[in-house]
Amino acid sequence: MSQRAMRATINVLPRAAIRQCLRSLSTASNMAARRPTTSCLPKPQTQTYQPLVQRRFKFKTVEEAKSRYRSGPFSWKAGILFLMTGAGLLFYFEKEKERMQRKRIAESTKGVGRPKVGGPFSLIDQNGNTVTDEDLKGRYSLVYFGFTHCPDICPEELDKMARMFDLVEEKRPGVLAPVFVTCDPARDGPKELKEYLAEFHPKFIGLTGTYDQIKAMCKAYRVYFSTPTEVKPGQDYLVDHSIYFYLMDPEGDFVEALGRQHSPDQAAKIIVDHMKEWKGPLKKV
Amino acid sequence: MGWLSSSSPEDQRSQEIRAGTVAPSRAERARCWEARDGYFACLDKNNIVDALKEEKAAGKACGAEGKVFERDCAAQWVTYFKKWRVQDIQKRQRIKELEAQGANRLDVQTDFTPRG
Repeated sequence: MSQRAMRATINVLPRAAIRQCLRSLSTASNMAARRPTTSCLPKPQTQTYQPLVQRRFKFKTVEEAKSRYRSGPFSWKAGILFLMTGAGLLFYFEKEKERMQRKRIAESTKGVGRPKVGGPFSLIDQNGNTVTDEDLKGRYSLVYFGFTHCPDICPEELDKMARMFDLVEEKRPGVLAPVFVTCDPARDGPKELKEYLAEFHPKFIGLTGTYDQIKAMCKAYRVYFSTPTEVKPGQDYLVDHSIYFYLMDPEGDFVEALGRQHSPDQAAKIIVDHMKEWKGPLKKV
Repeated sequence: MGWLSSSSPEDQRSQEIRAGTVAPSRAERARCWEARDGYFACLDKNNIVDALKEEKAAGKACGAEGKVFERDCAAQWVTYFKKWRVQDIQKRQRIKELEAQGANRLDVQTDFTPRG
């Protein structure tokens, strides 16, 4: 029997016993090696330091130890731990990725080289009061451009905006201002806007102004504006305009454009998610 | 007689809507859309795509529906919807062609009515 094989045998035996039987082991064969351990049980006085060394082996028999080692480091406990850690990390990374993406969208419109959408304005609402960009600050605002004579898209989009607004209101009441800006100031005065918007949502803020004011507003929001300058009284016309909802943050900076591809629920979720990340002050209404 | 009919407030309102001096309310819009759908269904049945170009054929086949359409909608809307129909049919055809070539559909909705 080789020296190494014997050492391996020694290793799986209790240390205390080995100490006692070392002499006999050095001469005994491999098969006999186990027998002396039983005959050379540690004496009571050696018990004092025994637990300290015995802790290194938690198996009572060699067979148990071997069977335990055969299964390797894998057990159902380890498996569950592994899966749970994996799932947890995956969930965390996905969340974090989404958060960073939203942050990037929001941040990309701030600071240097931002696309300048929005800006100062002074218009009048459906009740005849002056509303400026300062009045909308402190809250998120959802800005939509349209006109009351719009045949199909605006009314549908305004219904959608009303649902979107209600969904956001449920989760974050008073933090979103729904704004409708007319692209047709010649026909849409405060009175017309009031009648028109009342059919969609009582909280909608309708904005109108002079032709030049509206033209500047549309330009600031990069809205395609095609209202004819000179219209004879009684002449009907349609207005071409962009059909995006502009989400503006409480500082009046553009955050994201929501389009027709978003359902009201999807759009509301996007808005609420952006709100969650807002660290600045909010002015609830 | 023209004097009598135009004096009734209801007639005056619908005349104003047709002329585009007032914007239609929600109910009036719904009525217009219904008339439009009826007219377009008739055009579909008669295989007429462009009601503006094929005015005579459209008038012959869908005269009654056309009159309702013009009565319930602003004149501008009538033209707009007729043009929109041509574009919409072309768009659908194009999408069908592209899908046949194996193009992927993006989720963008531009219909009046929700799909599905």
